[in-house]
Amino acid sequence: RVSSDGKPPKFQPPPKPVIIDRKTQKEERRFLSPEFIPPRGRTDPLKYYMERKDMIQRRKVINIPEFYVGSVLAVTTADPCASDKSKRFVGICIQRGGKGLGATFVLRNVIEEQGVEICYELYSPRIQAIEVLKLEKRLDENLMYLRDALPEYSTFDVNMRPVPRMAHEEIPVNKLQVRMKPKPWSKRWERPKYNIKGIKFELPEHKMKAAQKWSQPWLEFDMLREYDTSKIEAKIRKELSEELEK
Amino acid sequence: MMPIWTKSGEKHAVTLLKVQDCHVLRYVSKEESGGKTAKLLVGGKNVSPFSKPESAHEIFKEAGVPRKQKVTTFNVTDDAIIKPGTPLYAAHFRPGQFVDVTAKTIGKGFQGVMKRWGFKGQPASHGQTKTHRRPGAISTNQAAKVYRGKKMPGKMGNIYRTSFGLKVWRINTKHDIIYVNGSVPGHTNCLVKVRDSKLPTYKDCNKNPPFPTFFADGDEELPEDLFDEEIFQFTDPSVTFS
Repeated sequence: RVSSDGKPPKFQPPPKPVIIDRKTQKEERRFLSPEFIPPRGRTDPLKYYMERKDMIQRRKVINIPEFYVGSVLAVTTADPCASDKSKRFVGICIQRGGKGLGATFVLRNVIEEQGVEICYELYSPRIQAIEVLKLEKRLDENLMYLRDALPEYSTFDVNMRPVPRMAHEEIPVNKLQVRMKPKPWSKRWERPKYNIKGIKFELPEHKMKAAQKWSQPWLEFDMLREYDTSKIEAKIRKELSEELEK
Repeated sequence: MMPIWTKSGEKHAVTLLKVQDCHVLRYVSKEESGGKTAKLLVGGKNVSPFSKPESAHEIFKEAGVPRKQKVTTFNVTDDAIIKPGTPLYAAHFRPGQFVDVTAKTIGKGFQGVMKRWGFKGQPASHGQTKTHRRPGAISTNQAAKVYRGKKMPGKMGNIYRTSFGLKVWRINTKHDIIYVNGSVPGHTNCLVKVRDSKLPTYKDCNKNPPFPTFFADGDEELPEDLFDEEIFQFTDPSVTFS
């Protein structure tokens, strides 16, 4: 086209495409920290509401990141006895317990050939920072069997650098099968009640069969043990997102 | 029960008590009751009026209040008398005060002597015939009788017991919740009586509490949460030692 001046028309760049990132919208709702979900019981929900208010207050001051059992964390706590008045501990999270303000997580590491486990309270005011060095999941929810595994599986470098992670990736599941020290173990991990998938059992066949004697196959069909948290979770997620935006 | 942290980083366990529809029902004067002080009847927690006969509703009708599940008496000095019908709130107590909490303990039913009184019982093996949790001897030869009050098996629990000298850490005026130190007798959601502490150490501890009680329609504007001085509030940054 020719404009009235005779010069070529000014270049109009095309409008920028609006990218609706459906993945981010889905990912925002994915993780809800397990200590927010109230346990089954006859307690007044008002008590859990008051606890959640305090938990949200604390989360506004300190960033408590998303992490799972099997991720490597570094925690800095205030300590009156240390020279710098603060202590940093790096370890793999082997257990997450407790509900509400008393939620805890246990970090394990092997320092100078001595296994060390420290149980931290998520909402304790002595914790100054929690960083996730490596975010990943394992095959089990409880890694207490690392106490009876070879020490190489529990050693993590104290000066480890955080492993970079893309913003909206799926959380990797480490399908590592751990080799154990010779028996006796602190617990009989081969028994079906622990339901452990992350150990490479090198026990003879007859021992594995004998352990199945303690299986309780009716438990998965027990309807009284079912606890459907989907609606409760949805409510709590909504409440959290509203409060944290304020 | 919930954890609570102080400014120095120590953790304490705390019980939450909710003040639910408490009203003063009646004033009984010293001469009428025959005691040393005047009494105030207080009722808590509204319940349906249909499960009791009309004769039981007299006290509540006089005060103009729906039927309450529990009615308790408080011994009260003459300058602390309140008009029947006034509602009582959690703000009646202040953080830093000390309090006694009374409630009915969890009922355990008919229990043996080892659980009820803490007897040691007998060994599990080495020839014991059918005797592992029995009381053993109940009296001596000379006495020729069993004394009154001898500890024996019987119904355990479901009786009123008091925890003394519990500190009040925090008060929520919006939901009427009192955060009281330590544990309290009774099961979850049971009815509980909270009273100013009678222990001699805490006689002069109350630093200007609302007297005779906290009136909601008064001029005093309280913030939603009242904290004790030593509590770590979650709006503050993390505790650091220097």
